[in-house]
Amino acid sequence: MKKLLTVCLIIALAVPALVFAQGSGEAKSQEIVLKWPSFWVGADTKAAPITELVNQFNEAHAGSIKVEIEENPDTDGYRDKLNAQIAAGIVPDIFILNVDPTTLQFFEGDLLMDFTEDLKGDWGNGFLDGTLNAVTVDKQTKAIPYEMAYTPIWYNTAILKAAGVDKIPETMDEFWAMCDAVKAAGYIPTVQMTGGTNAWTSMIWYSHLCAALGGPDVWQKDFATDPVFVQAAELLNRMYQDGNTSKDAIGAGPGDAGGHYLAGEAAAFSNGPWYIARVKNEAPAVYDATEIATAPGINYSGAQTGYLLSALAAANTTDPARRAAVVEFMKWMTTGENAKTVSEAAGSILAVKADITSTDKIQTQFFQEVADASFVVETFSAKFPVDVVAEFGQALAKMAQGKATPEQFVAQIASVM
Amino acid sequence: MRNKNWKQICLFLLPALLLYAVFFIYPLFYVFITSFTQWNGIGSMKFIGFKNFTDLFANETFRISLKNNFIWSFALGFIQIPLATIMALVLARKPKGWKVYRTVFFLPNVISQVALAMMWTAIYNADGGILNSLLAAVGLESLTRNWLGDMGTALGAVIVQQLFYIGYFMVVILASRMGIPESYYEAAEIDGANVWQQEIHISLPNILPILITSVTLAMAYGMRHFESTFLMTNGGPAHATSVLGIMLYQNLGALKYGVGNAIGATLIVLGGVLIMTIRWLLNKKSQKMMG
Repeated sequence: MKKLLTVCLIIALAVPALVFAQGSGEAKSQEIVLKWPSFWVGADTKAAPITELVNQFNEAHAGSIKVEIEENPDTDGYRDKLNAQIAAGIVPDIFILNVDPTTLQFFEGDLLMDFTEDLKGDWGNGFLDGTLNAVTVDKQTKAIPYEMAYTPIWYNTAILKAAGVDKIPETMDEFWAMCDAVKAAGYIPTVQMTGGTNAWTSMIWYSHLCAALGGPDVWQKDFATDPVFVQAAELLNRMYQDGNTSKDAIGAGPGDAGGHYLAGEAAAFSNGPWYIARVKNEAPAVYDATEIATAPGINYSGAQTGYLLSALAAANTTDPARRAAVVEFMKWMTTGENAKTVSEAAGSILAVKADITSTDKIQTQFFQEVADASFVVETFSAKFPVDVVAEFGQALAKMAQGKATPEQFVAQIASVM
Repeated sequence: MRNKNWKQICLFLLPALLLYAVFFIYPLFYVFITSFTQWNGIGSMKFIGFKNFTDLFANETFRISLKNNFIWSFALGFIQIPLATIMALVLARKPKGWKVYRTVFFLPNVISQVALAMMWTAIYNADGGILNSLLAAVGLESLTRNWLGDMGTALGAVIVQQLFYIGYFMVVILASRMGIPESYYEAAEIDGANVWQQEIHISLPNILPILITSVTLAMAYGMRHFESTFLMTNGGPAHATSVLGIMLYQNLGALKYGVGNAIGATLIVLGGVLIMTIRWLLNKKSQKMMG
């Protein structure tokens, strides 16, 4: 009887497994299904236009190709999941690659699809200058440039006006004078933060200061020894002292930092174009008062920080039909017309040449500032691996509390490079 | 004596053993093997001997993190558990509304750690947080500070909020205390023992095995602590609150799997040694107490 029961139990466990295995086999058809885990979903400003483009693509290729978006709204979680998957040799059919020296390691081996030959024709000419280089390693282009990040300084001109400051500072002397006036008027001069994964707003300020001190080739200099990086640290440190930032800046994360600007408490802030929609929706008065500018000049003026923020990548395949389907989809996503659709709807600036007529006043200023910039340099976060960027926030917190000098700040970061 | 049904027993144990081997033994083995390599998770592994370990012990952040892990472990084992014990002993006396208190203390255990961390981050906020507002309201403005941003207070602030969550261990200890026959206390009372003497000489010896288990579990949690620190400070400021779990996570994020797994292996070995030592010491003490 016991033997019989054991056999029945094994059968009961085994049968469903066999049935499901059979079911998945039957589901196979001629249609190529490409799964795309994406964080451009939910409340993300690109969610609606991207979904619309995917739907249009699916309609145009009904029965032959189908792209399915898998929602992963948490960007940090997305990155962690992707790292783990790729380390296990499991690459999603299509995915968003945040371009930095750490993620470019994914290009090693043959896990990712190589688009080098596909991009040699007209398709490759449609991208902004330098963006293909940003996703090319050892002459192999294994991702398609998609979104640009420009991170200028945002000024709340209503606060400047209340403080009696009639123009956006163009030199550091004017900038410190603005800080004093803003403080006297009861506002926070600059938004800073040491928390989060990369001390985002302070990291952008530091990138601007490095560019203004070291020029277009600043990141070619030796970080550990070149005085430019210590000088930039001295200026950043001053932004943390004497009430030049909020009381919670040391340890603050992106929510706290952005909150000060959205609340109309802070005069100067820094972020990318994706933040436009948030300011517009959550703080219309701040939106109306916002003006975009380059950071104050020092040795160089008119510098802008910008880099390729994200690219689209795909799993390598030996199936020619599947490969063709991926390339077809990538081409669809990066046509000038579709880039224009996404850009105009989301406020983002894409890495594709497109005739964009923005109706948003801040986005228009972004385009103008980028066009007028004397030169564009990458931010610190785009230039260095994630562990070095993480060390930036830790070293900054130490310096801002007077526990490290600017020289020690630079040395601490250089120690993990 | 050999069980006649050994074949069936093995058959039923097999799935669990297989799962245990696949999801625990194999990853553990893999962590130790890869800790001796330089590996970014994509290319091939390069065997580098003990370099990851020697580099780690020379790294200041690692030493801070290790120290913080031990602080967490001892704080939870020897502050949180005594607090939970005191509350359990008080509630076991069934004061008025004791069931309400039991629920109130246990409630945080069913609330998301993320929500609690966010709440405490708001409480500690330097710019309008409740703690600073309270201090200012009672004339202690000089004590207000950026609790999570100050290198001198951040670790304490993160640990203190966790110490309040005594509910889980309190319920476990309370259940053990409730199992002691009331006649013991009645007899002690007739003999003239006061409440304090009853708790010391009746309650504590009887709940000692549960206390040792609770201390062990709390210390093990302290050694592998990650969540609230990650959510509240991400190991900052200036690594003041960093723990090995955060270092491990950051190294894996930077695709430094060899270093990350060396941290993991260190954590497993040190945690195991610490827990076994503490258990051995407490058991020895308990045997002495029990005569």
